[in-house]
Amino acid sequence: MKKLLEITLGIVTSIGGFLEAGSLATSAQAGASFGFALLWSIALGTLCLIFLVEMSGRLAAVSRMPLAGVLRARLGYSFFVIVLAAVGIVAYLVLATELGGVAYALQLATGVSYRLWALPVALVCWLILWKGTFGVIEKGVSVLGLVTVAFLVAAVRLHPHWSAVAAGLVPTRPAHQAAHYWYLVVNILGATIAPYLLYFYSAGAVEDEWDESHLPVNRAVAAIGMTFGGALSCAVVVVAAMVLLPRGVRVDDYKDMATMLSPVLGHWGFPLFVLSLAIACLGAALEVALSLAYLVAQGFGWNWSENAKPRTAARFSAVYTAALLLAPLPLLAGVNPLKLTNISMALTAVSLPFAIGPMLLLLNDEDYAGEHRNGPISNLVVMVTIALAFVLAVVSIPLVVVGG
Amino acid sequence: MELARDVLDKLLVDGEHRPLGRVDGLVLSWAADEPPRVIAIELGAATLAQRLPRWLGRMIDALARRFSPRHGEPYRLDWERVRRLGRREIEIDIDGPRSGALDTERWLRDHVIARIPGA
Repeated sequence: MKKLLEITLGIVTSIGGFLEAGSLATSAQAGASFGFALLWSIALGTLCLIFLVEMSGRLAAVSRMPLAGVLRARLGYSFFVIVLAAVGIVAYLVLATELGGVAYALQLATGVSYRLWALPVALVCWLILWKGTFGVIEKGVSVLGLVTVAFLVAAVRLHPHWSAVAAGLVPTRPAHQAAHYWYLVVNILGATIAPYLLYFYSAGAVEDEWDESHLPVNRAVAAIGMTFGGALSCAVVVVAAMVLLPRGVRVDDYKDMATMLSPVLGHWGFPLFVLSLAIACLGAALEVALSLAYLVAQGFGWNWSENAKPRTAARFSAVYTAALLLAPLPLLAGVNPLKLTNISMALTAVSLPFAIGPMLLLLNDEDYAGEHRNGPISNLVVMVTIALAFVLAVVSIPLVVVGG
Repeated sequence: MELARDVLDKLLVDGEHRPLGRVDGLVLSWAADEPPRVIAIELGAATLAQRLPRWLGRMIDALARRFSPRHGEPYRLDWERVRRLGRREIEIDIDGPRSGALDTERWLRDHVIARIPGA
């Protein structure tokens, strides 16, 4: 019974926490430019994510060590530093992106520029981390994040031709704008396979004291939660394809997508969009800031816990404090939040080989994964994902230049 | 026991399971016609700097010298202090909060974190 509650809560958490600035924006761009044609990239990314999240949870439950800790202990300092640099830089940009999402939502609601909201938003995030506990942050914000189900409701009420939607799940070559098409594929995969999520999830498993008995919970949450989350991303594509595309809207700014729910949900559409953007990005900002602190503190062997008072984990708290202090800078400098989102997602794709590569080694190590080591299917999926990650990393920068 | 696999980079904890840091480096002694022997564990930015490419290591070493509370001096734990070599962590027979291993944590807590309301 307790496990069933844990599974339900875990699934609700993953659904409510799935959408963030990157997945919302790239899905809207995909739908507005290419209709249902890019749905396959969300499905592919979600499938990779399910396997990776399951693995990071399994590793944490069996070894009772967080991912960053295993990474350092097993692969050594020199390797850890490379991962830290790659994932750290990207996490900083994603943090700035998510703050930008909240700030832009506030601009839509109040008319006051996102540049003025950047610092107050960062301060609120910091206060939540400073005073809150892991449970409050993970569960609380994710439950509020269920407001994003509005996109699913809107997608269903638009009565799309479901056969056309299903056809979008099969990869096709673009008929026009090939560079922009592949640019969005890279963006979507970067937004879906978010490396910080793996560190967050694994640290959460350790904070919640998972052991082998949690493996079924882990599997169910990863598979069901992430599938529904991916479905939410797909719903954003469907809504954009049926509302923005026919009106010839090109999404170059968050305000271009702000009215996408209105034709379906009436005067509830705009507030629901603003609320979805604000809460989804706030939740993601908290997760990214914490993931950065987890990565650094666990890798260096510092005391870490979001459940502890800041003074008992001073260096851990200092990391997220510093990150939130520096993250508003691009917004204060006036970088367009959607531009920032696209750059961050493309660079996430570049960082994927460093973030995912080690998973193959760690999940096959008897010392850490024990008898719950990867089977052939999981190994095959990681290897394919790593190969995909290398391709993405190589093509990402050129595509930003020609397709962005 | 293999030093690189079983000791280096492992988490160090004190008797109360409080984390002290990781095994950033090992100090070995070579006496004439004797096999090399581990005499101490080293912790700290200066030790870690030696494990990076030289240009980066020098930069971090210089920063640690100037800004760290230990002035870039690595913290050494005698090998005799090792109480248990675990699979997940290495237990050390010291009182963590009072040891030099947590100098930076303590400095940051007292000078920055604890001064912010609500800490």
